[in-house]
Amino acid sequence: MGSLATIRGLHKTYVMGDETVHALDGVDLDFDRGEYIAILGPSGSGKSTLMHILGFMDTPTKGSILFEGEEVSDLSADRRAWYRSNRVGFVFQSFNLLPRLSVLENVALPLLYREDYTEAAREEAAKIALERVGMSHRLTHRPTQLSGGERQRVAIARAIVARPAIVFADEPTGNLDVKNVDRILDLLGSLLAEGITVVLVTHDLSVAAKAKRVISMRAGKVQEDRRQ
Amino acid sequence: MKLLIRIRAAVINGLRELQANKVRSLLSMSGIILGVASLVAMVTVVQGMVGNFRQFVDAMGGIEKITVDKQSLPKEQEHLAGLSEGLTMRDVEQIKATIPIVRYVSPEARVGYEKLVWEGREVNTVINGVTPDWLPVAKRWVDPSQGRFISDLDILHKTDVCVLGSAIVAELFPPNVDPLGKVIRVKGKRFVVIGLLNNIEAQGMEIRSASGKGRGSGGMWRWRNSGVYIPISTAAAKFNGNDRLSGLGLQVASGDDLNHAVEQVERTLLQTHNGLKDFTLTTNEQTLEDFRKTEVAFKLSLGGVAGISLFVGGIGIMNVMLASINERIREIGVRKAVGARGSDLFLQFLSEAAVISVLGGLIGLAVSMGIVAIMNYVLMQAVPTGVVAKFDWIIMLQGLSFSVVVGLIAGVYPAIRAANLDPIEALRHE
Repeated sequence: MGSLATIRGLHKTYVMGDETVHALDGVDLDFDRGEYIAILGPSGSGKSTLMHILGFMDTPTKGSILFEGEEVSDLSADRRAWYRSNRVGFVFQSFNLLPRLSVLENVALPLLYREDYTEAAREEAAKIALERVGMSHRLTHRPTQLSGGERQRVAIARAIVARPAIVFADEPTGNLDVKNVDRILDLLGSLLAEGITVVLVTHDLSVAAKAKRVISMRAGKVQEDRRQ
Repeated sequence: MKLLIRIRAAVINGLRELQANKVRSLLSMSGIILGVASLVAMVTVVQGMVGNFRQFVDAMGGIEKITVDKQSLPKEQEHLAGLSEGLTMRDVEQIKATIPIVRYVSPEARVGYEKLVWEGREVNTVINGVTPDWLPVAKRWVDPSQGRFISDLDILHKTDVCVLGSAIVAELFPPNVDPLGKVIRVKGKRFVVIGLLNNIEAQGMEIRSASGKGRGSGGMWRWRNSGVYIPISTAAAKFNGNDRLSGLGLQVASGDDLNHAVEQVERTLLQTHNGLKDFTLTTNEQTLEDFRKTEVAFKLSLGGVAGISLFVGGIGIMNVMLASINERIREIGVRKAVGARGSDLFLQFLSEAAVISVLGGLIGLAVSMGIVAIMNYVLMQAVPTGVVAKFDWIIMLQGLSFSVVVGLIAGVYPAIRAANLDPIEALRHE
């Protein structure tokens, strides 16, 4: 499959008042391309911090990350923005679609910040992504006109529109009814076929059970790394 | 090129934001609207006043003109009055002989406000005795088809001829009568009309000097069109009984020589008047200078008012932008999460501020047009010779760019705040 990311000795500490919080306390992990991974843990376990660092939203205090063969643990803000724009997608619990934009515009949004896409190319790519998640019939709708399950499908389309190497889904089913949970998780699972690594970040065991590999975290450390 | 594309996208986005929050955007624009409107309206009106005055000064003989008027002696010198004859033709000759930088010397002997009669029609007006130099000093002319002006021969022979202003022609003669060669009577004495002066018209701010058959009254310039001129020697012989002058008009070859000429004329006149200063010298430069000071004072105070309102407008924009960013922290987080750089968000919010200020500025320009139109109307009602201001694209452009600069400056701080938001914090924001 090939290695996507190699993480060694990752630390992240926050200073809050007089207290130093070790959000990540020496994490070593290897991600392959096309893996379906769940990062499981209670709040405060460090799973969100790990997602933010691997998702190029934050930088580690210490440690190294090789991403697609390049050291990325100490990038500038603009360089990290490039990775977010080109190599990473995010799916959030609360969807985070922009209410003023149409479905099509929401999905095309990541490409707006890329200079290699013209307006026509952005629209084309967004349509393909929406087709992929089965939402092509709602292009001009506003997010508020959609159900929760539909919104999350649009959010997934936005996450994959720029053909990323890895998609992080942060409690993607937290705001969905039971009927939609499986459909969204199956949709995320189907991305593997395109070589995308999918990382579910959750505290829900039943959600994590869908993944092929479950990384359990506690107090900033990897407690268990199990393939199922 | 890439930056241009980014700016274009940011501006389109800014317009959409504006559309989504119409009332809020309009409120935030109000400061800029008022600022630009007052700035442009005030500058336009002041400019109109200045322009009007410049032309007025020019019509008064320009800045090369020196006017010599009679002046009564101070109390302590009153017993010396007999030593000076006052202004006479001797002064004219003396100035002509000794001061070469004075190009024209135009003596005037006022006959008075008299009744003119032609075939039973009559009109009252001022009659002045003048010499040929009156034309260049007054910056007037007689169109060849309208006869001629008073000549040196008329002066020499004290001929009974007169030149009429267009307003007099219109009042004394029916439209189908050619006044040239007609004989009019003044105090029982007969004068042949030998020429008609060009008509001076005032239309709005513009003063047109028209010759032609113009018989208009000339609005604010009526007083300049209603004069009747006869040879100065005739005035002395037939009416005044002496060669005393009511005043002198001098024209200096160049405005640069003005102060020099004033000194020399004063010295010469003191000499011929036996040291008595029974005359005054005035130049239009002094009037112009006084007016310049008023203009500067006007511009400073009005500019200050407009500047303050633009400043307040800027604060308004900044306020609204900060509020808008506060409302859209999550949006900023989402945009950053999907790959927007700090500079993208900076550009986005700066563009929103710019769009607000440009639109505000444009609305302000429209409002200023209304203000100027109303001011013109009111002034014209109050005083027919009132200030009439004209729109100047340069002033409008300046007002607009001023508003854009204010908007951009006001937008910088909010835009920096948006650019520097931490995406993780922003996404957590409720």
